[in-house]
Parts: sequence; C-alpha cells; structure tokens
Amino acid sequence: MGAAARILCLGNDLLADDALGRAAAERLARSAGPELEVVYAPGAGFALLDHLAGAPPQLVLIDAIHTGRAEPGTIHELSAGDLVAPAGPSPHYVGLLEMLQLARALDLSAPERVTILAVETADELTVGGAMHPLVAAAIPPVCARALAIAGIREVNARA
Amino acid sequence: MEERRRIVIDPITRLEGHGKIDIILDALGRVERAYFQVPELRGFEKFAEGRPAEEMPQITSRICGVCPTAHHMAATKALDDLYKVTPPPAARKIRELVYSTFMVEDHALHFYFLGGPDFVVGPEAPKAERNVLGVIARVGVETGKRVIAMRRRLRELIALVGGKVVHPVFGLPGGVARGITADEQALFVQTADDAVEFARFTLDVFRNVVLANPSYIELIVSDMFTHRTHYMGLVDEQNRLNFYEGTVRVVGPDAVERASFRARDYLTYVAEHVEPWSYVKFAYFKPAGWKGFVDGPDSGVYCVAPLARLNVSDGLATPLAQAAYEEYFATLGGRPVHHTLANHWARVVELLYAAERMRELAGDPEIISPEIRTLPTETPTEGMGVVEAPRGTLIHHYATDERGVIRKANLIVATQNNSARIAMSVEKAAKGLLSGREISDGLLNMVEMAFRAYDPCHGCATHSLPGSMPLLVRVREYTGEIVATLRRDGDGSVHRGGTAA
Repeated sequence: MGAAARILCLGNDLLADDALGRAAAERLARSAGPELEVVYAPGAGFALLDHLAGAPPQLVLIDAIHTGRAEPGTIHELSAGDLVAPAGPSPHYVGLLEMLQLARALDLSAPERVTILAVETADELTVGGAMHPLVAAAIPPVCARALAIAGIREVNARA
Repeated sequence: MEERRRIVIDPITRLEGHGKIDIILDALGRVERAYFQVPELRGFEKFAEGRPAEEMPQITSRICGVCPTAHHMAATKALDDLYKVTPPPAARKIRELVYSTFMVEDHALHFYFLGGPDFVVGPEAPKAERNVLGVIARVGVETGKRVIAMRRRLRELIALVGGKVVHPVFGLPGGVARGITADEQALFVQTADDAVEFARFTLDVFRNVVLANPSYIELIVSDMFTHRTHYMGLVDEQNRLNFYEGTVRVVGPDAVERASFRARDYLTYVAEHVEPWSYVKFAYFKPAGWKGFVDGPDSGVYCVAPLARLNVSDGLATPLAQAAYEEYFATLGGRPVHHTLANHWARVVELLYAAERMRELAGDPEIISPEIRTLPTETPTEGMGVVEAPRGTLIHHYATDERGVIRKANLIVATQNNSARIAMSVEKAAKGLLSGREISDGLLNMVEMAFRAYDPCHGCATHSLPGSMPLLVRVREYTGEIVATLRRDGDGSVHRGGTAA
C-alpha cells in the first residue's frame, strides 16, 4: 500500500518569489514518511504529468501565483474544480489542470482529490531575485495547511 | 497628432501577465499597429556575471521549465568554444543522440496535444473542445496512451544519460559526463525503432486528419497567415537540416541563400531592433537592415522554427523524412513555404527526421566508445554555441576572464528570432478581422492561432496555475482611457463591459 497523500511543490528557485515551492518542499521533507510523499518539481508543461500520474488519492499542490489582486504572501486555497482550464495563447502554457484532465482521460491513476495552495507573489520574473519577506513568511503556514489537508501531523523542526 | 486608440488583448491564462496583445487603432477604427507584449525574465545577465562559466549549462537549463535540454546543449557548446576544445566523436554522437531523443519527445507532444486543438480538433470547433481533452476525443484514448507511453520511454532514456530530465547534468566542455554501455545502446536502438514507427504513424494521422480536409489546407495557405520573410536555421555541410550542429543558414523569401555563418559570427548577422512602445527586442537579419514590420526581400525580418528550418534545408539527411519533406513542398507549392500554420506540418516532418536520426546514432558502433572527453587546456576568453531548439535557433554567448568567470552573457532565444514576424502575424489577423471597436470572438481565435503556431517561449516562470480570467480585451484611447472591455472565460463564456469595466 502506497502513501495516502502527496504534496507537490512547484516553482523555480532561481526566480525570486517562485522559489517558494522549493523552500516549502525542504520544510516539508521532515514530515514525509510512509503516509506522505513530498515532491519538489521545477519543471512546467508536460513535466507535470509525471507528478500526477500514479499519485496517491489526495494531492496537495503548493505553488506561487500572481493574481495582482491580493497582498504578497496571501494564501489562496482552491480545489481543482474551482479553476477552469482555458486553451492558452501558446502551447507553452499548458498547465496543471490540462495535465490532470489528460491523466484522467487516459486512465493514468490521477489523484482523486486535488487541493491547491497558491501563495501570492510580488515578483516571479527576476533571475536571482530574493524572495519577498511576506512571501517567505507564508511558508510555515502554507506548509501547515498542506499537512492538515493531507491529514499528517507536522513534525517540529527542533524535535 | 492623429487620434489613436489602443486595444489590449490580455490572455491571463496560465499565469497573470504571461502575455498580452496590444492593438492600436487610428481615428477611423482601423488597425494601425498590433504587437504582442510579454513579461520577460529580468536580471539574467547580472545573475550570470561573476559565476564560473561551467555552471551555465545547469543555470540556463533551470531558467526555463519547458525546454531545459535545449539550453543545456547550447550552453555546453558555448563552453566547447570558450575552452577551445573539440569533443571526441563518441561524445559528439552521444550529445546528438540525447538531443534527437529530446526533439522526438517535444515535437510529438506539441503536435498531438498543443498544436492539436487548432488542427486535430479544428479552428471551427467550440472553444470548450479546443484543448487536450478535445484532441483525445478525436484521436482516441489508445492513441493518447501511445503518445504518453512513447514520451515516458524517451524521457527515461534522456534521464539515463543526462541524470535528470528537467535539469540535465551531462554536458561538459569537451565532452559528456557519462558514456553509454552496450546494454543501454540496445535500449536506445529498440526505443528508436519504435520512435520511427511512431513518427510514421503520426504522419499518417496528419494526412488523415488535416490533409484529407480541404478547408484546413485552404486555411494554411490563406493570405491571413502568410508572410514572405527571410528564414534561418542550422544546416550540415550539405545544407541539410541539423538540430545539433552546423552552420546557420539564412535564405531570402525566394529561398536563395543570403548568409551562412558559424555561431561565433552571429553578431555580424543578427541585430536587435527596439521600439519605444515595447520592451520586446526584435531580432533582424543585419545585412538587410531594419525596414520595419514588413515582408519582402529588402526587409530584415526573418523567422526560425520548423517552417524556417525546412525552408533553409536543401533536403533532409534521412530517407523517410526526405520523402515527407518532398511531399510537404509539393503539396504547398514548392520551397519556400511562407504559411505560418504550415509550422504544424513541418514539425511532423521534423519528428520523423529526429526519430530516424536517433535510430542512426543509436546504432552507431562508436556510440559506446569510452572516449568521451577532451580536457580543456587553453585559457578561456569568449565562447558562442548554437543549437536548434524545438522552437528555433538558440544562441548562447559568454565572455569570461582568464579563470573562466563570466564577465558578460547573452542569449538569443527562439522567440526573439521570431518576434518581428509574430508581431506581423498578429497585426495581419487583427487587420483582417477587427472592425472599429467591435472585438469578435473570431478575431481572438485567429490571433491566438497565429501565435500558437510559433509556440513562443518567453522564458516563463514555471507556474502551472491558470488565472480565473483567461482572456481580456480592452479597447482604450491611446491616452489609456478604457472605452470597452471583453472578457472570455475558460468555459467559453463571453462578458462584455463598458467604460466602467
């Protein structure tokens, strides 16, 4: 029997606030165990399919998002059903929802439940940029929330 | 000054601000100018400065989450040049083998799932079906599974040699980090055989779905999607397509060669034009000069990617691909082909070439030679490397101090090479379909199709979440005042607003 949940952390650690995913994955690593998989994925597009196919029933996704309608560091909690998957202006922008649809359409054991925790960014386009303090401050709460959804008790950093 | 209005088509799709199209109207409501705007990554040059050049294959491949292998290879080749080393034959072949494997994977996915909505599903299909699921519905679940299974096997091979697919770690100045064993060679041969079969099958799918439909051919050759520009691509010594190495060839709108140069000399042939209204740099063919966003032999506008690559190639080096190349030009009226949407067909021809090339290299006895590295001994100064990324010519250029620490770095990416022609395509679609302040859904579809064919890569962040507002068009005065809005959501619903929006 595999793990019950997977927390998938997305982001590019070279791109300022987009480093959030990696930082979250590092923090969550110590909570990983037989019940929980923690995966960091810097890729985009079809690379996401590898992390959806064959995943445990519960998937929690941590990513950065720039809606421009909230303070940096704000945590948006969404289920996959809350989002629509428009056909993008470029094939480059194929995203999580399309990959989820594809995995389901092709019967690739996609997760049954998908929750998205997206942290509002200030800047995700500067190569080598620093993370905004408010975004960095959102890492502990977003990790705690991800673990709660996954049904895992947080392992204290100093324990 | 003449009164002008500006319309902004703002596709807030995968990530807010991923790209937008601006259309400026004159006082009569005619399209005066249209261009696409993208948020480019900032700070790469500064980030690279002061770092050892040897880190560049890793760093540049980490910048883009979509095509890391292309950046990795261009950077590795720039390091060869920087350290003045020639990789041993086996290393060169291993690199091209891995690169061909990557091209098969990328082109296959692109054709089925990314270009598919425009042709497999069709431009007339409802918006809600023009996506990955719509493609599966047309080609069938079995074919969908076959594509995904092929992709998995190809990626496993890349990972076998490259370490990690997303962040490959195998290219070194003068060679590769790891050779290929006889067992691994057998695996490559087997996969390559299947890849060739898969590519032939894909060409049949293209014939059955697209070529059998006269309205698709009409659309491909329509004036709306046609520009007579220069073309650029990498070719071997016989002027045949090569993705990994060779000389960069430029042909004019008449397919006559205008230039053939090594990566080292790119600054003699490629220059960048800047417009006050855009931060996009428009690359142009320097000998022709910048004459504006216009077609013709006197204009410096050129493009790259599959359409351009076939136009610069006198032929293809593998037999099945050569036959497909001939069929392509015979059907579309001879070389060169100026139709932007033909990129989709050219990509299938290239898929077949990449698979056949992969098969050739996999079967080469020398591929398992342990001689995979030439150690650098020279003092580094400056290095340039070029490859054909799936989306077109990609150039890396580094200048270093005598210890190999980067003083200056410059990348010319595929989308920059295409940016002037993309702007022309957007403008043409807008001019053909836009009237006054009325923004039709048809316009949006056609504009999107025009730029989907190029598959522009903007070195995007690796975000994967769509916004809630996939497409926003704003009509406004040139001064910035919004006079009308149109929003199209991902479910296809359209919402119109007035000045208050």
